[in-house]
Amino acid sequence: MTSETYQDWKSIVHRCFRCGYCKFTHDFSDFNCPSYKKFRFETYSTGGRMWLIYGIINGDLQWSQNLSNVLYACTTCGNCTENCRYDKFNEFLVDIIEVARAEAVGKGFCPEKQKILLDRIENSEMNNPYGDTNSNNEDLKKLYNLPDKAEWVYFIGCTSNYRQKNLRDATLRFLKKVNINFTLIDEHCCCSPIIRTGQIKPVKDFMNYNITQIRNAGALKIITSCAGCYRTLKKDWLKFGGEYDFEVYHTTELVKQLLEEDKIKFNSEYDKILTYHDPCHLGRHMGLYEVPREVYKQIPKLKFVEMKRNRENAWCCGAGGGVKIGYPDWSVEISKERLEEAKETGASVISSICPFCKTNLSDANEKFNMDFEVLDLIEILDRLDIEINKKI
Amino acid sequence: MLKKDEILRNLEEIVGKDFASNKLEDLFIYSQDPGASEPRPVDFIVMPKTTEEVQEIMKLANKETIPLVPMGGGLTLSGLIIPVKGGIVVDMKRMDKIIEINELSQYALIEAGVTTGQLLFYLNENYPKLQPPIPDAPPSATIAGNVLIHGSGYLSQKYGDHGAMINGLEVVLPNGDICKLGSCAVSKYWFARGPIPDLIGLFISSFGTMGIITKLSIQLFNKTRFREVVFGLLKDLKDIPNVLLRLTETGLAEDILLGMQDKPDWMKGYIFVIAYVTGESQEEIDSHIKVFKRIYRKSKARYMKTPERIKNAYLEKPIFAAAAADYRKGGGFEYVGANMPLEQIPEAYRRGVEIAKKYGIVPTLGSRLIGGTHNIVMFFSYSFNRADPKDLENARNALHETNKLALELGGIPWKAELVGQQLILEKMDPNYKKLFNAIRSTIDPKGIMNPGNWEV
Repeated sequence: MTSETYQDWKSIVHRCFRCGYCKFTHDFSDFNCPSYKKFRFETYSTGGRMWLIYGIINGDLQWSQNLSNVLYACTTCGNCTENCRYDKFNEFLVDIIEVARAEAVGKGFCPEKQKILLDRIENSEMNNPYGDTNSNNEDLKKLYNLPDKAEWVYFIGCTSNYRQKNLRDATLRFLKKVNINFTLIDEHCCCSPIIRTGQIKPVKDFMNYNITQIRNAGALKIITSCAGCYRTLKKDWLKFGGEYDFEVYHTTELVKQLLEEDKIKFNSEYDKILTYHDPCHLGRHMGLYEVPREVYKQIPKLKFVEMKRNRENAWCCGAGGGVKIGYPDWSVEISKERLEEAKETGASVISSICPFCKTNLSDANEKFNMDFEVLDLIEILDRLDIEINKKI
Repeated sequence: MLKKDEILRNLEEIVGKDFASNKLEDLFIYSQDPGASEPRPVDFIVMPKTTEEVQEIMKLANKETIPLVPMGGGLTLSGLIIPVKGGIVVDMKRMDKIIEINELSQYALIEAGVTTGQLLFYLNENYPKLQPPIPDAPPSATIAGNVLIHGSGYLSQKYGDHGAMINGLEVVLPNGDICKLGSCAVSKYWFARGPIPDLIGLFISSFGTMGIITKLSIQLFNKTRFREVVFGLLKDLKDIPNVLLRLTETGLAEDILLGMQDKPDWMKGYIFVIAYVTGESQEEIDSHIKVFKRIYRKSKARYMKTPERIKNAYLEKPIFAAAAADYRKGGGFEYVGANMPLEQIPEAYRRGVEIAKKYGIVPTLGSRLIGGTHNIVMFFSYSFNRADPKDLENARNALHETNKLALELGGIPWKAELVGQQLILEKMDPNYKKLFNAIRSTIDPKGIMNPGNWEV
């Protein structure tokens, strides 16, 4: 992704007619673009951004920090890609914004707050966006008695490894419980945060490092509980020229497969009303809508309820696209709106399958005293009695 | 005279810091629309939330003699929301409350920023037996923006243009007065336009030159359980008037449209008659379809059995008319809409095709009936590539020539861009102009309301 790549978009950016479908849900029930709903100027709709980007391409506009800020005030949730009606254009909208962000970075207009992500990831003591000392995961390997080589690698992801350790540990326990032959690697950031914020310079190096680590572990399959890592490994790494032959799974896909093959069975009950939040990186970005729902619905006594906006129409949690670090207050306001919607369902538990969504929903839950239990699906499974069918 | 930063500070005090801007990137976006008009400079954008905020903006603009341009969805495509003489664009979309739905008198009282998508969804969810008049425009078009330009669309064949469906307006006048027009001036019910002197018309198609509308009452209509579309095909343009008269005299059509385009290839050489029938049962619909098929047969038209995919596209609400804006894959689209008498429709099609071909544009024409055959809106559509200056120039020339054609044939360009307005004014009765100017200068002596529009 270089300046030359950016020019490739020249042939389609101006196709945007600014008709405004991108702002809505499918049925026009609400504005579903977090950025437009917050700022309300046309500039902050995807159409506005497309016109700004085209303005730069054709020389009507010059780069500035203000202009760059408009591009960064977007969670890249993909609502626009779902609702724009122009085929072979709509699918590229988020990509165009990310490429334009990369151009902004190249011109020296990356917002200061987002720069921290790159600084920390490039710091060889850290290699993660949270600024913690890098964990080579050797302690975890010892604790869970994991081999050096295995069929599967559990790619923990930075959010689970440094901020949502409960989610990580629940995943580790689940994989052990269901007898998956897996190991861990000394992983570095998958690069999702810096790809989303256009800071793409080191991506190939990080990607190649991680691929090498996975190969050294002899793994044929990767499993992750993180929606961001899942999208990045499965989609972005290929875009960045990554060459690998392992399969990438989200934990939920494995759970569903084990249930379908009768290899596991839930023996205890979860007697609560639960609603599910679709992570943008799994839903709109990867089309994974039904798999988690099928798993929730197999948990005995769990009453599953949908929020008004779900699946392709889901309201974003507000954490993605660098918004959590760039606009921390607005970011949790977006999550607050999600929790208010969850409240209408009568649920006491809001659950997702993404540590970043969990972080932001939890932050809003705490800040606005919303009184939910915010849990990842894997944390719920961790509380269940799971019977393993050893005959199969 | 206040300096620019002082004006911005004043605007921020009125609407809050987040909703007033003179940032370059915002000004850039509001200086243009998706049509073929040249960009024109904007000085400020402001987004009020209440009538009182609009009133304060108006007082400030009047005191400082700053032009004000009210904006809804920004989808007229003819540059009506791009300031001609700079000033403040007042983007009304934060005034988005649906205040009341009156099921008995069948009206919606709404704020001026309510979008067509918003009202359509709200009624579908809460009042499924009622439907709003909405245009063939994307859901981000506002109800106010549509009705205030003599908009048309759904229900127009049966009930007339959407401007005629306004029951009442709340208007902020240039001197800051908040004025109620229609029955709401006398009654707590916004149920009718009169019977008092009808001043609402002053605010329709005057393109924001008289004041800023903050609330309006719009008629709603019964929605039947079933709705179906019946396609007919005509070969000869001269048969259009007869088939339309025969269809409308049945009283069975909710809406009737015509379409003629050279692409895709299978459409070339035909005029498509698209008639919507409604009913409370499938039997009722089927009997209406039979009537229409018989009319097609007797009017030298042919009934066209239509694939579900195409039928569904025409039954979608709102119809995805913005598809036409993507024909050139270039994000540019404008059309001359012209209200025409029925007798000139065949000639309008014939000459419209010639104009399109002259400028290398694939002919794409259509029309919609307004109140039976009393009034036909013609659409001469020109999709263009914004990135190709030649394409853009061709579209501008075609639009200009089409405006002239519409006037020559006895029609009137609808929501005309500045050049089109000039053509209309050249033909207009001098005393009409005199009266209009007298009213305008009385209401807006400083000329702050969207100046440059409707000016001789």
